[in-house]
Amino acid sequence: MSEPAGANAPKPSSSVKLVLLGEAAVGKSSLVLRFVNDDFQENKEPTIGAAFLTQKCSLPTRTIKFEIWDTAGQERFASLAPMYYRNAQAALVVYDVTKPSSLTKAKHWVAELQRQASPGIVIALVGNKLDLTNDGGDASASAATESESEPVRDAGEEGAAEESEQQDTNSGDARKVSTREASSYADEEGLLFFETSAKTGTNVVDVFTAIANAIPESSLKTGRGGAGTGQTALGGRSAEDSRVNLGDRSAATAKEGCAC
Amino acid sequence: MESLADTTWDVIIAGTGLSQSLLALALSRSGKKVLHLDQNPHYGGPDAAFSLEEAHEWVTSVNQHPGRSPFEDAKIFTYQHPPESPRSPPSQNDSEGSERMAGTPDIRPKLAASRAYTLSLSPYFLYTRSALISILISSKVYRQLEFVALGSWWIHTGVPTAESDDLAATNIFHRVPGNREDVFADNHISMKSKRTLMRFLRHISKSEDDNGSDTAEELSAPFGKYLSTKFSVPDDLLHALHSLSLSQGSAQDTLAEYAVPRVQRHLSSIGSMGPGFGGVVSKYGGASEILQVACRACAVGGGAVALAIGVQSLKEIEATAEKEEYPVELELTSGESVRSKFVIGSLWDLPSQSQPLPSARVARSITVVSSSFTSLFPITTEGAPLPASTVLMFPGDTLSHPQSPPVYLQIHSSDTGDCPRQQSVIYGSVALSGPEGHTLLECAVDRLLHAEGPQAMVLWSMRYTQSGRLSNDGSSATIHKHSPHVYSFPPSSLDLTWEDEVIDMVKQAWTKIVGDEVDHDDFMIFDDREGTSDD
Repeated sequence: MSEPAGANAPKPSSSVKLVLLGEAAVGKSSLVLRFVNDDFQENKEPTIGAAFLTQKCSLPTRTIKFEIWDTAGQERFASLAPMYYRNAQAALVVYDVTKPSSLTKAKHWVAELQRQASPGIVIALVGNKLDLTNDGGDASASAATESESEPVRDAGEEGAAEESEQQDTNSGDARKVSTREASSYADEEGLLFFETSAKTGTNVVDVFTAIANAIPESSLKTGRGGAGTGQTALGGRSAEDSRVNLGDRSAATAKEGCAC
Repeated sequence: MESLADTTWDVIIAGTGLSQSLLALALSRSGKKVLHLDQNPHYGGPDAAFSLEEAHEWVTSVNQHPGRSPFEDAKIFTYQHPPESPRSPPSQNDSEGSERMAGTPDIRPKLAASRAYTLSLSPYFLYTRSALISILISSKVYRQLEFVALGSWWIHTGVPTAESDDLAATNIFHRVPGNREDVFADNHISMKSKRTLMRFLRHISKSEDDNGSDTAEELSAPFGKYLSTKFSVPDDLLHALHSLSLSQGSAQDTLAEYAVPRVQRHLSSIGSMGPGFGGVVSKYGGASEILQVACRACAVGGGAVALAIGVQSLKEIEATAEKEEYPVELELTSGESVRSKFVIGSLWDLPSQSQPLPSARVARSITVVSSSFTSLFPITTEGAPLPASTVLMFPGDTLSHPQSPPVYLQIHSSDTGDCPRQQSVIYGSVALSGPEGHTLLECAVDRLLHAEGPQAMVLWSMRYTQSGRLSNDGSSATIHKHSPHVYSFPPSSLDLTWEDEVIDMVKQAWTKIVGDEVDHDDFMIFDDREGTSDD
């Protein structure tokens, strides 16, 4: 797991902005919840309430702090703001292995990222809900913490229609998207590729670790925002010099408050 | 796509300009069902920011749909500099002029990719003591924003101020002193002038505490007259003090009652957030970035945000015997019909409602230039951040005649994220509409570039005319009530800095919508959401 590297000796730490994309109800937020809290909620409501979450990922030579931006449902009406993509160094494009249309949608998002996002963005294509297939995530099921006190309803994350659909197919192999189809698409587009189960935890940490490893050292800076801009400083100027931290204001005194 | 008609809404906000988006932010934790629409396919309405491609689409749209936005007469100019030649040292050879100006250098800078630019239609900055900054902090959305510091104010002198062989924009500008040390250090000001200036500055910082040291009669005089009669401030300092008020009126049209509190605001802001600066600019397109964060906060709180959907028509259901809970019925441009308790939008976002029309029109321009104008971005105080933006004022008489309003240029360096390195974006504004205004803007930009030298070339420019409110045109920032359920925001401000009165207006709208269910002192004060921390 990628628990915060508290006890380790200090390593260089960099922030990475990661955006989530994918059709509704494929498990975007559940993947993040598994990664950040090692938790899973069966009947999770459609995403509201999370602006962004953070989680550290410790690599041998450095620590990556993911700033994970959830869509907050904005994708429903094609209203994701440009700032959502801006300066993202990584993207998780999620589809549901039991739902072929969600892979189509994922391809749409990959194209959108290639058009809108920073040129060097690391994109991972993730087929989620592996637990509903025969390859199902059993191997690591033991790692999962399935003892929530919440009443366990078998459900898609969003939408009643999907809920019943899943119940029907839950007994057997519900896989509708083959690993080969998705992985060959990922190869063509140069994407990282994983199949995961947010429910059991299978491969979830692996996705984030792979992304962390794939981010080029050159695009890492301390703090967010530097990644999209050119690195060559002109006459000693750098973006860091002019930044003003609003959060510091409470500390700043108004001693210089007036001119005279 | 889901259907919007399946839900009845507590409030429908039409338009994603900054006022509407701040309202959406205010409502983001209220438990209200919010539908936030914009007829445009992009965020921001009059506060939007664009890539080059998006700017082209916007210009087409503005000219195709006159009256659908506060903009008109939009035009883009691209400059075909001769194809790039092998890199060689810049030569002084002025013989081969481009179509735009003489002195084309051998190194021919080029526009970068469309998305390397974020060009803002309303590039206002925030004073560090602005109530908006307090709100961005108390609502915690500042975490998703980045700010850079605003630097010096400069006054165009009309003639070169220094005999220098080196070309630099500072040859035709004076830096406006921003504090006492600046005044002493300034070698353009005579000792006598310094004394009068100090007297005025002392007075103005005092009257912040006890308002009333100026009589009503004094304050109703033009600012220039006030300065000369009360403090004997010489004429040559009038422009500098005028520029600190950011008044877009001419010296005659700017009253002391308008200018004095604004000069006060300027001076008291410097140093309040850190040494050496008094204002900040939101990175990547100014207000556009702030409003996107606000819209996102509303979505995170459960609101639905939909672009490219406008309000086609709106009617209120007659009050029948029983009380109608969702009395407003709207037809959307998507063909859907939705019901809501409240509807609020701007003049441009709601179908023909009678309300006050914009009171002012200004000419604006956005110019991408191949220079970083290093000399205009000095660090003037130890420990100050490197400025990323600066304000240049061209008094009316330096470009036209004394009655003419001043031209303001705000230069954004690449540190604002608006453009690539080694380029700058110049935002111009003058309170004169039509060709007259645009000629002045062009003239101001030309003078700046000429002084900077031949490597400073225009790579791209856009001009437009915008209607709205100016803080000194007598219009007030209040929401307009069409019925107990339908309200509209006034046209947006054309000022160069954010005016805090808009916050009062947003709070007014918020209060109407939340009613007495919440403590009004909790306006925009939110805890961090789970999983977010400074760590």
